[in-house]
Amino acid sequence: MRPWLALLRKELAVAFGSPMAWLTLAGVGLVTALIFFDHLRIYNQILFLYATTTMGGFETDTVPTYVNLRDQVFLPVMETLALTLVGLVPLVTMRVFAEERSRGTDELLATTLLTPTQIVAGKFAATYLLVALMLALSFIYPASSVVRAGLGMPHLMVVYLGLFALGIALASIGLVCSAFSTHQLVAAVSAYAVAFVLYDFRWTAQFLPDTVAAWIDPLSLHPRFGSFAEGMVRGGDLLYFAGYVLVGFALARFALIQARVR
Amino acid sequence: MRGLLPVGTVALIFGVGSFYTAPSAGPGLFTWINLGGGALALLLAAASALRGRSDASPASRRLLVRSLLWVLVALIVAMGAEQLGRRSGWQLDATAERRYSLAPATRAALEALPAPVEAILFLDRLDTRARSSRLLLQTLAGSGVVTVRESDLDESADQAERFGVVSSNTVVLVRGNRFETVERPTEGSLFEALQHLGRSAERRVYVARGAGEGDLVRSDDVGYSGLAAALQTESYSLHDWVTAAASEVPADADAVLFVAPRRGLRQPVLAALERYLQGGGRLVALLEPGTHTGLEELLERWGFGLADAVVVDPASGPVEGDPAGVNPIVFSYAEHPAVAGLNASRMTFFLRARPVDGVRKPRPEDDLRTLAFASRRSWLAPNVEAVQRGLAPERPEDAEENYWPLLAVGRYPRGDREARIAVFGDSDFASNRYLRAVYNLDLLMNTLHWVTEREPAITLRPKALTVDQFPLTVQDSLSMFYGVGLVVPELCLIAAALLWARRRIG
Amino acid sequence: MSEPQTRGAEVLAEGLSRHFGPHRALRDLDVRIAPGESFGLLGANGAGKTTFIRLVTGYLAASAGRVAVDGFCPIAQAREVHARIGFVAETSRLYPDLRVRGFLRFAGAVHGLAGGGLVDAIEKTLARFQLEDVAGRLIGNLSKGYQQRVSLAQAFLHDPPLLIVDEPTGGLDPLQQEEVRHVLGEAAGARTLLICTHDLGEARALTGRVAVLHRGACVALGATDEVLGRGDPLALFRGQAEEAQ
Repeated sequence: MRPWLALLRKELAVAFGSPMAWLTLAGVGLVTALIFFDHLRIYNQILFLYATTTMGGFETDTVPTYVNLRDQVFLPVMETLALTLVGLVPLVTMRVFAEERSRGTDELLATTLLTPTQIVAGKFAATYLLVALMLALSFIYPASSVVRAGLGMPHLMVVYLGLFALGIALASIGLVCSAFSTHQLVAAVSAYAVAFVLYDFRWTAQFLPDTVAAWIDPLSLHPRFGSFAEGMVRGGDLLYFAGYVLVGFALARFALIQARVR
Repeated sequence: MRGLLPVGTVALIFGVGSFYTAPSAGPGLFTWINLGGGALALLLAAASALRGRSDASPASRRLLVRSLLWVLVALIVAMGAEQLGRRSGWQLDATAERRYSLAPATRAALEALPAPVEAILFLDRLDTRARSSRLLLQTLAGSGVVTVRESDLDESADQAERFGVVSSNTVVLVRGNRFETVERPTEGSLFEALQHLGRSAERRVYVARGAGEGDLVRSDDVGYSGLAAALQTESYSLHDWVTAAASEVPADADAVLFVAPRRGLRQPVLAALERYLQGGGRLVALLEPGTHTGLEELLERWGFGLADAVVVDPASGPVEGDPAGVNPIVFSYAEHPAVAGLNASRMTFFLRARPVDGVRKPRPEDDLRTLAFASRRSWLAPNVEAVQRGLAPERPEDAEENYWPLLAVGRYPRGDREARIAVFGDSDFASNRYLRAVYNLDLLMNTLHWVTEREPAITLRPKALTVDQFPLTVQDSLSMFYGVGLVVPELCLIAAALLWARRRIG
Repeated sequence: MSEPQTRGAEVLAEGLSRHFGPHRALRDLDVRIAPGESFGLLGANGAGKTTFIRLVTGYLAASAGRVAVDGFCPIAQAREVHARIGFVAETSRLYPDLRVRGFLRFAGAVHGLAGGGLVDAIEKTLARFQLEDVAGRLIGNLSKGYQQRVSLAQAFLHDPPLLIVDEPTGGLDPLQQEEVRHVLGEAAGARTLLICTHDLGEARALTGRVAVLHRGACVALGATDEVLGRGDPLALFRGQAEEAQ
């Protein structure tokens, strides 16, 4: 087996060999399912209200078009899931490098045939897989429900792609913070800070000049995810998220090398 | 010295933040202390770091610099790639209703705009509904004719008031000193707004009144105000031709429109109409079965066959509670510009319609065509009055099954001019209730465009969103929740428990 | 990449220094460890022993001077150096969530073993270090002695020509210490052995030559019996070379 693949396999074994990982997955899946079911319940109540005789019902077209499964149920749940990622992914990434360093196993890795590039690649890949699985497990229930209700599969796949892209961008931020830390808590807190700052810059628009706001707004994570949620894949957005992976990779690698020269 | 980096960063952030949020008098001492102190701290931290790095061997420094360069390269590549991706405008619309793919009509409307248009999206910054509007506008902006900007509703109160904007997620399309305001924009509503803005020289349509015709002012289900609005959107100005008093068709008429006349027309009116057509006039008639207005005889002289019967199409199931077949769904069309683009998946439907056939060309050079057909199994029911009262149609023993036509058009060269006539065997399909159902609007508007020789305007209009509004049944909801929603977390918890047990064993 | 020598790798340090800001962890160390030699590095805690090892493995980069393994620089030619090294850390630095066999499979793979060769190496190593009974157990659930055996086992998997062992018996009971010394004793001769320790008895038992470090500087270098046999060897740890003689 190639050294890099062995590292990937080890990372996955460590990640999934812990009951905590499965508890986290269960928690995310359960919370998403409950939120989705609650949104569905409220949506049905609204439709029932419109469908009463006093409102005229569907025959008289009194239900506004914006009252529909996609906009009232599915998309709000996906927005919640996106925000959940901001809270959850740093908890996944905090241990990836910091734990190796605090435990001293990074010294073991440093004496193997693995280059810093391969070490970073293996850990990044394992973390991305974990994020993908976490999302997939959360996504199954809402997606299967709305497929039965008529939302197209391509749209669903694009939403998942958006969540995955957001997830790996957040993971990249968390991995960089972990690579520069020896303490998992420091790694998590710094990842939270960076992620929340980058999540949405709209709040700064009221303070900054328009030109500056126009420049930093495209840096925000959430608006970029927004187009995926609406069923649109844009080249610029894909490359934006890919940029996080690229820069995060380079920074994490720099962190490993910088630790040797410190 | 190591602490200088975080301290300097914090000071700089506070300094920059207070700089931009400073009161109108300008930044104060707090700002300058933070900016200056933060910059100084960062400089000292950098110097310390460099000095520390000088303890490293040349090989180590080379290693560090190389890895730092890779970070810079990665940053530049990432930013450059994102810019390229954004400028390329590449996008994939995965929505079921192709929400962000412009319809040909919208593209045509954009191309027809004589000058660039600015689209201003008024929104509350936290309004997530505006996201889809933003994407839609960005798609429009890809045409190069529309520039888009966003405006905060609270901060631009004056401008909002000027345009009549009262709620978030409202778009104002501005061209010169003209503007159109669209709330909760969809492609269809934006298309109509663009049509208004790009309105070319109008064609004058005289709408006959005085013989019990459909009311183009009436806005309830049986009115035709929607038809009037659609005509005006597509650059037709509407004028009344009061047949009770008229003796001539106005000379500036580009077309005359009859919408379901119910009473007999005066002889002078019919004569005027005949003269108008002989002089190269244009006529569109929406007729109902069971009516005898005199217009039918006139049209028969121009080659149309207007049997007084109701077309019954068994292939069309019951619609709107009517007996099966009396509301034929049309999915067979001839090859003709007026029905371009309509096919088996772009249907229209009529309600209690009479057949309209092209029977006999008045002159050899005339061209008479039937365009829209019921299915092969359709037949004619003679009990028109009973059918119109909602009773079942009676099938004669010798009823002929055929592709009974419901729309026919004719072209009649007369000297150096050309008369054009279009006759529909129904008027209900153009009423407010049904005009925007399936492709009814497209059929009517494109036929009128053909009649008035505006073939370039013939297009298929953007359709309204067809999102699923119907609820999941309680049974479905619960079965999905228990069958899928809870199963996945349960399996994860089982996995966690098994792992925990195995770890205890070791 | 050149093939490792069969009888051990040479380690050469010339003017080797490492600073951590103002703190001089290692100062101008000159030492050559011949192929197949068993070499001990002695000194009190903080003398610079672990720093020297980290410079040899490439975990740290030198501030001045050079270090080479078979002529290869651990920084510039890390792959060539790591192919020659088996490293046992000061305390068991293992993955408690992995099982013994899984960990060895990982360790062998990241040292270039694959396929049938990896499987054979794992089985042989499990037998050699008497780990068959615990091969399926989580490392985190093992005793300290077994964990140290696993740590040694991963270092031997790929049969490296240079074995670096940092404080091999730290925290072990006498029986466990004896086991470890037995394994290391067997390893001597077939490969270069570099042992960091502050246990004089261990140094005497396992090494033929030693260097004594005090505050980053080498205060004694020579045959083990000679360096530790004269006077008060602890004086060397205190940096009092004259008293040691």
